[in-house]
Amino acid sequence: MSLQELSNIFTILMQGITYTLIVFAVTIVLSIPLGLLLTFASRSRIAPLRWLTRGYVFIIRGTPLMLQLFFVYFGLPFLPVIGPYLKLGRLAAANIAFVLNYAAYFCEIFRGGLLSIDAGQYEAAKVLGFGRFRTMIQIILPQMFKVALPSVANETITLVKDTALVSVIGLSDLMELSKKLVNSMVNVTPYIIAAAIYLVLIFGLTKLFERLEKKAAY
Amino acid sequence: MIKTTALKKSFGDNHVLRGVDLHIRRGEIVAIIGPSGSGKSTFLRSLIGLERIDDGSIFIQDQALAENGRYPNERTCRRVCAGMGMVFQHFNLFPHMSVRNNLTAAPLAAKKLTVEEAERKCADLLARVGLGDKIDAMPSSLSGGQKQRVAIARALMMDPDILLFDEPTSALDPELTGEVLAVMKDLTDTGITMVIVTHEMGFAREVADRVIFMDGGVVAVDGSPEEVFTNPGNDRLRSFLGAL
Repeated sequence: MSLQELSNIFTILMQGITYTLIVFAVTIVLSIPLGLLLTFASRSRIAPLRWLTRGYVFIIRGTPLMLQLFFVYFGLPFLPVIGPYLKLGRLAAANIAFVLNYAAYFCEIFRGGLLSIDAGQYEAAKVLGFGRFRTMIQIILPQMFKVALPSVANETITLVKDTALVSVIGLSDLMELSKKLVNSMVNVTPYIIAAAIYLVLIFGLTKLFERLEKKAAY
Repeated sequence: MIKTTALKKSFGDNHVLRGVDLHIRRGEIVAIIGPSGSGKSTFLRSLIGLERIDDGSIFIQDQALAENGRYPNERTCRRVCAGMGMVFQHFNLFPHMSVRNNLTAAPLAAKKLTVEEAERKCADLLARVGLGDKIDAMPSSLSGGQKQRVAIARALMMDPDILLFDEPTSALDPELTGEVLAVMKDLTDTGITMVIVTHEMGFAREVADRVIFMDGGVVAVDGSPEEVFTNPGNDRLRSFLGAL
């Protein structure tokens, strides 16, 4: 294969990376705060809110992400009454399905992090006069994030690869474009290049999280 | 200063406190001793709202924390307990904060002190507990005795009228208890009312104005250190002291 051909493959794949990165970025930015909110809801004093969160996490973790993608893109428009307003573009559908899915996993990661915090921390905060909110913000959450960091790193790396699933609703991401190229060229080189691109992305994330973990050490 | 009447508390079928009546006066140094399971820690924790009692009353500086088993709203509870500090067996320092921030976080959050005042007070108190050079250290780099001394300084930052100690030396290696007890002894002439749950009989004898022996969820003996240690009239107390 000539250098020219390689460079052509690369140029085409770079267009797909845009979608891969958009879905990745939107999911990380939105699902982490949403997951944190779900964590609080799952520990709420209001019982129905806890049940609702439990049910949500059960459904999201209990069904394939691919099915959830299909549901958001193809299924929502068929809902009675509100359906017609829920005809989403491919990218919007992909983003929504991913955010909803990853929020459930982050909820569980943060919940685990909170469970690891010693009751003595809450007690010390209480006897020093910290209110509920300040205790959470100043005492509990910083420790929780440190505990959760390795799991968050793991989940984030999984997300990079999971974005390849958006090809099932026809979004031209890195995976979809490399598949098309392989089919048209009858040659697997585009897959190898796509693999290399995923590896570079994940290498960068791994390094980033290593630094974050070092920073969070105390 | 602290007055409890008919205090009762159960964990399921386990009746930990079976009616504790106690009146602690301003400035008193009170040591609470007793076998494990006698309810002494539960009693101490209930004084500052860490345990909810089932029945009885608690008055802190003439304000009701609980009356006939009923508590006022959270805000009122917090106000009633504001004049108290507590030192825990396991220190409970905030591990993600430097020693400085452990000390200054609470008074700054409560807007009790300005940043400059908090910094100055923090330096003074650390010097007082002999840890002036550890102001920028993280808790993980301190020994157990140092951690507990930081915890005491942290409690003092809020200017408590009452300081509760829940077995402050029980988690320490024997050679580290002395430094903590010395700091506590140093506090006895500040006028702060101190209630100390402890297994350090020598310390209780030397420092306390009054020793309470709890057994089976009630106050079994209440007297001066001489009455309790030199001439224990109570059989249970005698066997408890003998077993040590």
